[in-house]
Amino acid sequence: MEQLVIETKNLSKIYEGAVEVRAVDNVDLQIQNGEFTAIVGPSGSGKTTLLNMIGGLDRPTSGSIRVNGVELSGMRENELIDFRLRHIGFVFQSYNLIPVLTARENTEFIMLMQNVDKALRNERVEKLLSEVGLSDKMDSRPSQLSGGQQQRVAVARALASKPDFVLADEPTANLDSKSTANLLDIMARLNRDEGTTFIFSTHDQRVIDRARRVITLVDGKIVSDEQR
Amino acid sequence: MNQITKIAWRNIWRNRVRSLVVIIALALGLWAGTFTSGFYEGMMKQKVDDVIQSELSHFQVHDTAFRDELIVTHFMEDATEIQRSIEQNSNVISTSGRVIATSMMASANKTGGVKLIGIDPEEEKRTTQLDQKLQEGAYFEGIKRNPILVSRKMAEEYKLKLRSKVVMTFQDLNGEIVASSFRVVGLYSSGNGMLDEVNAYARRSDLQGLIGLAPEQYHQVAVLIDDHQLAESIAGSYQEQHPHLEVLPWLDLAPGMRYMVEASGTFAYIIVAIILIALLFSVVNTMLMAVLERTREIGMLMAVGMNKSKVFFMIMLETLFLSLIGGPVGLLIAFGFIRYTGSQGIDLGAIGESYAEMGFSAVVYPQLGLSSYISITLMVLVMAILAAIYPARKALKLNPAEAVRKI
Ligand SMILES: Nc1ncnc2c1ncn2[C@@H]1O[C@H](COP(=O)(O)OP(=O)(O)OP(=O)(O)O)[C@@H](O)[C@H]1O
Ligand SMILES: [Mg+2]
Repeated sequence: MEQLVIETKNLSKIYEGAVEVRAVDNVDLQIQNGEFTAIVGPSGSGKTTLLNMIGGLDRPTSGSIRVNGVELSGMRENELIDFRLRHIGFVFQSYNLIPVLTARENTEFIMLMQNVDKALRNERVEKLLSEVGLSDKMDSRPSQLSGGQQQRVAVARALASKPDFVLADEPTANLDSKSTANLLDIMARLNRDEGTTFIFSTHDQRVIDRARRVITLVDGKIVSDEQR
Repeated sequence: MNQITKIAWRNIWRNRVRSLVVIIALALGLWAGTFTSGFYEGMMKQKVDDVIQSELSHFQVHDTAFRDELIVTHFMEDATEIQRSIEQNSNVISTSGRVIATSMMASANKTGGVKLIGIDPEEEKRTTQLDQKLQEGAYFEGIKRNPILVSRKMAEEYKLKLRSKVVMTFQDLNGEIVASSFRVVGLYSSGNGMLDEVNAYARRSDLQGLIGLAPEQYHQVAVLIDDHQLAESIAGSYQEQHPHLEVLPWLDLAPGMRYMVEASGTFAYIIVAIILIALLFSVVNTMLMAVLERTREIGMLMAVGMNKSKVFFMIMLETLFLSLIGGPVGLLIAFGFIRYTGSQGIDLGAIGESYAEMGFSAVVYPQLGLSSYISITLMVLVMAILAAIYPARKALKLNPAEAVRKI
């Protein structure tokens, strides 16, 4: 079932300064439900800026972003926070987790803020952590987990909110190749089995190879967009 | 929200040493501040007790003109009756009727001004415990004619010994000068240097005879009751019933006392407030550091959907926890310390002597009333809330997009 999740039109982000930087320059982009898409490009090409705007973390200078038909650009700060909570899952490069909470509590955290009831929370936390292969680490704190394990908890946490899609800005940048492969396996499986939409940026060729669609940015513009 | 309380609580233990430093600083500061308050409160209470019990009594009754012009003609016509009617009140412990004559005292060595107070030794003993202050000689015993009690200080200045003769000169009711010789029956020391300079005591009946007053005519009736707090109200109601007399509670008899009692309370609060303000800065500083260190983490929390009020609440709670652990600990230590020193007393040693000159006791028994503990607790709460606001607002200013970029 093809369905438009993200649609940007003439999306631009310009940083004014000594020199004007067009971090994202007139981007028209459509993402369908169920995609497994990589945003690639050289450093400074605007990947993070684009993902942040799509995720409602940053505001465009001009243009529009629609998520499931809802326009983000006019939203107020608190509306945006609430929108992120209910519609978007995030996985960052690092510092994804609350250090004082266990893997279980970190995963549960989003659902607590969504006021999901306890029985459902417990059930989902256990299911998600077992899907990312961490059933035996549920009561460990982030400091007791490896980088790869932490990123897997972050994926579980991102999915806990039942988001419309998951945004991951260089999720594997701090991981060794084995952990990278492992995390990608999990993401690909969730995408295939659960239909979760993933949009991630990366520099890593092995990660790019796993994507089914690769969008390449240079100087804030889409220079290529290939489906595989 | 329960979850946020849990996170906030765990967060303050992330940097254990830093949090403990703040908590201990708070505890120590409050201990010091509270103890200082207790020290002053105890010192004041002692001074007040002392002034009331050995000097002023709770209130005094005079003829309306007496205090303005200390002359012998302003006596109360039927003072014995006044004394008796006051004693009807069940709160009254005792009264002492006095005749007062401003006099010149002359010994072989010196002549000087003295306030000669004519007392009934029994009444005075019950009312101001004058007998307790006797250091040498006997309390109006052993000398038949005109015995006089002078202070040890006077004895030194006038070179007097027991049984020495002094000549007292004062006016009688007709304005005539009367000179009469008295014999030193005892030496007293009241602990208040200023009073020791001027007060000498004779028998009331002797003085009445010399001045020409009848036995029921006095200048002053001093009244001791069983509760400091009632002094003003009992004096007030007696004043209403007897408009032709002047009835003054102790706080008005010694105008300096009222000021001193009130100022010392304020002083103690100012000390606590200054300490708390200093501590406020250290709490704010610590929390700002904590917020700054956690820029990325707080940005991440906002990114994944934690709204501003929850972030604000979390940082507020962390600050409150920090303040509110140290606060009670400090108060509790202070409480124990005040209790202990309050029963043992603190001997001020050498400094104590100069205090004694000013009429303070050289051994201080700190004490602090419930109301002071409550006020200090409220001050700590206010401080904690004030300290919490700034770091929490700072956390809100974070831009999640920029915060997560630093990742
Ligand atoms: N706050 C800012 N102020 C000014 N310029 C900025 C700001 N943030 C980003 N830029 C600029 O915008 C451009 C795009 O940056 P962005 O971080 O999106 O690139 P990126 O593709 O994610 O790079 P990387 O691969 O290194 O993460 C860069 O030239 C960057 O210097
Ligand atoms: Mg980037």
